[in-house]
Amino acid sequence: MKLGSLWKRPFRLPHLASRPPRPGDPLIYSFNNHRDAVIAEVTERVVHAHQGDPAHLERILNDAAMHETRRLQAQGDSEAAESLSFWSNLYRRVARLSDSEKRRMLRRIVSRMAQGVAGNFDPRVHALAERAAPKMLTGIMNPTFLPTELAGTGSHLDMLVRAEGPLESLRRLSNRGTLVFVPTHSSNLDSVVLGYALARAGLPPLMYGAGKNLFSNPVLSFFMHNLGAYQVDRRVQAQLYKEVLKAYACVVIEKGFHSLFFPGGTRSRSNQVENRLKLGLAGSAVEAFSRRQVRGDGRPVWFVPTTINYDLVLEAESLIEDHLREKGKARYIIEDDESSQLDRWIAFLRKLVGLSSACVIRFGSPIDPFGNSVDDIGQSIGPQGHVVDPVTYVSRNGTPELNAERDRAYTQDLAETIVDRFRRNTVIMPTQLVAHVLYRHLVQATPGMDVFGRVRERGTITMGWEELEQEVGNVRDAIVGLEERHELRIQNEIRTARPNAIVHRALEVWNGYHTHAAARVTQAEVVIEDPSLTLYYQNRLAPWAEQLADDGHVAAAREIQLEGRR
Amino acid sequence: MRIGVVGGGEFGRGLATTSARAGHEVLLWSRRGGDLQVPRVKVTGSVEDLADRQLIFLAVPSPHVTDTARHLGPTMNGEHVLVHVSRGLVGEQLETLSHVLRSETPCRRVGALGGPLMARALTADEPCGVILGTRFPEVEEAVRAALDAPTIRIERTDDILGVEISSALVGLIALGTGYALGHGATPDTLALYVTRGAREAVRVVTALGGRPETFSGLAGFGDLVAAVAGDGRPEIRLGMALAKGLDLDRAGVEAGAYIEGVFIARRVANFAKRAGIRTPIAGVMADVVDGTIRGKDAIAALSVSL
Repeated sequence: MKLGSLWKRPFRLPHLASRPPRPGDPLIYSFNNHRDAVIAEVTERVVHAHQGDPAHLERILNDAAMHETRRLQAQGDSEAAESLSFWSNLYRRVARLSDSEKRRMLRRIVSRMAQGVAGNFDPRVHALAERAAPKMLTGIMNPTFLPTELAGTGSHLDMLVRAEGPLESLRRLSNRGTLVFVPTHSSNLDSVVLGYALARAGLPPLMYGAGKNLFSNPVLSFFMHNLGAYQVDRRVQAQLYKEVLKAYACVVIEKGFHSLFFPGGTRSRSNQVENRLKLGLAGSAVEAFSRRQVRGDGRPVWFVPTTINYDLVLEAESLIEDHLREKGKARYIIEDDESSQLDRWIAFLRKLVGLSSACVIRFGSPIDPFGNSVDDIGQSIGPQGHVVDPVTYVSRNGTPELNAERDRAYTQDLAETIVDRFRRNTVIMPTQLVAHVLYRHLVQATPGMDVFGRVRERGTITMGWEELEQEVGNVRDAIVGLEERHELRIQNEIRTARPNAIVHRALEVWNGYHTHAAARVTQAEVVIEDPSLTLYYQNRLAPWAEQLADDGHVAAAREIQLEGRR
Repeated sequence: MRIGVVGGGEFGRGLATTSARAGHEVLLWSRRGGDLQVPRVKVTGSVEDLADRQLIFLAVPSPHVTDTARHLGPTMNGEHVLVHVSRGLVGEQLETLSHVLRSETPCRRVGALGGPLMARALTADEPCGVILGTRFPEVEEAVRAALDAPTIRIERTDDILGVEISSALVGLIALGTGYALGHGATPDTLALYVTRGAREAVRVVTALGGRPETFSGLAGFGDLVAAVAGDGRPEIRLGMALAKGLDLDRAGVEAGAYIEGVFIARRVANFAKRAGIRTPIAGVMADVVDGTIRGKDAIAALSVSL
């Protein structure tokens, strides 16, 4: 076996010093005991779905063989060569296989896919990560902090990442049912900061699907493999593989493992909060609820819409570039963005030293799979404040039943509710506020120009400092007004800060990390240095542009809002 | 099946009659209570009596849907199937009524009936067609069973939003049709106006997230043909009354019905501005309703200019 391929296999700690289970451990601590059962159940379910019509079975095998052969040929490395012959062989022979051979083949493929996906969890690694990660990260940020970090119990990360929302209630609910966290997705840092915030808030670790590309770094891979991440290879196009992923997500939730999905599917390229969701995995959670009820297992499943809000985004430049290049057609994989470059990480983390609340994670109130709110003891509450039994949603004449079309409809409704919660729980950060005012000024100065023209206006548009401060103050006040109506949120620090301080903070955050700062100061003016970045940061506010504008800015705001919808 | 009907108006009574004829046990809830003289249909004045219903038709005018839903909410759970027949969109954001039902009651299995279905056709046993918008298979099943009659053709789409928006916009176009007729518009002028109206409606449907093909079916096109062919709908009567130069209040009295089209014209025009789409007809109709444009000027604006 080649040395290189060692890294590609899950690396686990030996069983020798395994940690004895303790009462009150989260269920995920015993995941490895459930692992084989999960794989078997997933296999069984996917195989079962393709019983019956042999012609259909042939199509599905053919689909898998064709897509895999094509993909592996294109990949063309030694890893690919291993399985290429299997798939190309199947592709040639599938029509000649007998029905029973086809069924055996199906089971073999599905089982192998399920094993490739299946995650791991090692409590020892979790404990290690929990203890060491903040220190390592702080160490990278500023080595002089390291000694105090190692000695003390606090961490500079505590200051940097703030978690808001009904934490106490979530802790309690995590013991009564299964939580499915559905956050917005802006950065590859998301799962890291979220994992950190959960641990600090005393919430259990989550199972989640992570792109295979994130497993390529051996260190990261070690942690991912042992912290409940399962592997999602986005290059695999086969229908069967998608079914395996969905069944995996479903079985894991059904068995009671708290889970995490990014319902937007991929990082937001524009930096707008997701307004369209990929329904596949959320659908698995709805299905998991139905299956439990049908089995007579009444444990509830709850969704926790969560927003992850950054003042500075690690991959901002690559993301907005990709957004502008492929407007509307976001690619899943950007091969070489900032998150794969160590020096960018270091620059990023260094930049954040001393900034408080550079990342705000806001957990929304939990909802049941049908969009009802959930009270502290886990009861679903209808719009008029009365208790609703969630089992009624999957019942007919009082009996729970499975129905895939119905659950798809629930999932679509749920997606609308989650999008609505995302918006209400979006926390506006200083850079987003300042970028919005600057970009609106740019739009006003370039009437009728399209977005591609505007992002070429590098360094040509300036705004007087006083005017900038004035408008930042106005827009901030308007956001606070929206906050009072529960339509949007604002970072604590800038709710009452002087506009001058808000502008300074934003300029300081941009300066020195991005290739070009979004904006810089000259004497009494601020120059829009990189309109793409300004657009990126302001996009978070695009859906509210008109509501935030006074009479003099309505036209520009409307343009921003329309542009944001396209 | 145990069926409930909310609303003792013409449409509510029509749905109750049809459901009872199909052999179902029907309970009609009306604020007024009492005897509505619908054969084989029980009437109640208390909303709690609807708790044991499997399917509930909501047949109240759209401005009352929110209040009715709030009133109904505490009695409902996730198993109830709720289907409304109201034309209308709520508020400046043009929210659909199914959205109102979903936010004011715990019900999710909701549907909207639209298309050229008139209360009269239901009770008179004339051949008629209806479009049901719902994402839920059990809603379709319940409605097919409830309205099971050889004279009723039920089509279904999962684009519930498209059905609701189409219904509301047909009301608006019908209002203009009545106005044009009142001014003696010839069939060719009318054809021009209606076609432009339909095109405009498709833009609004799409901008709000519905599918254009929903408007091409019974929900839009079918409903519009019925209105223009003179199925006696109140929007046409109101449009004709406005054409006589009556102000809105007096026109309303003359038409003898509440009409949603009047109230959405301005909101549709405002929405269009925000969404960056062209809706000249909604704009002119809003002006007609406000009384700021009249007579031949309005007809010219509706059909040729703009």
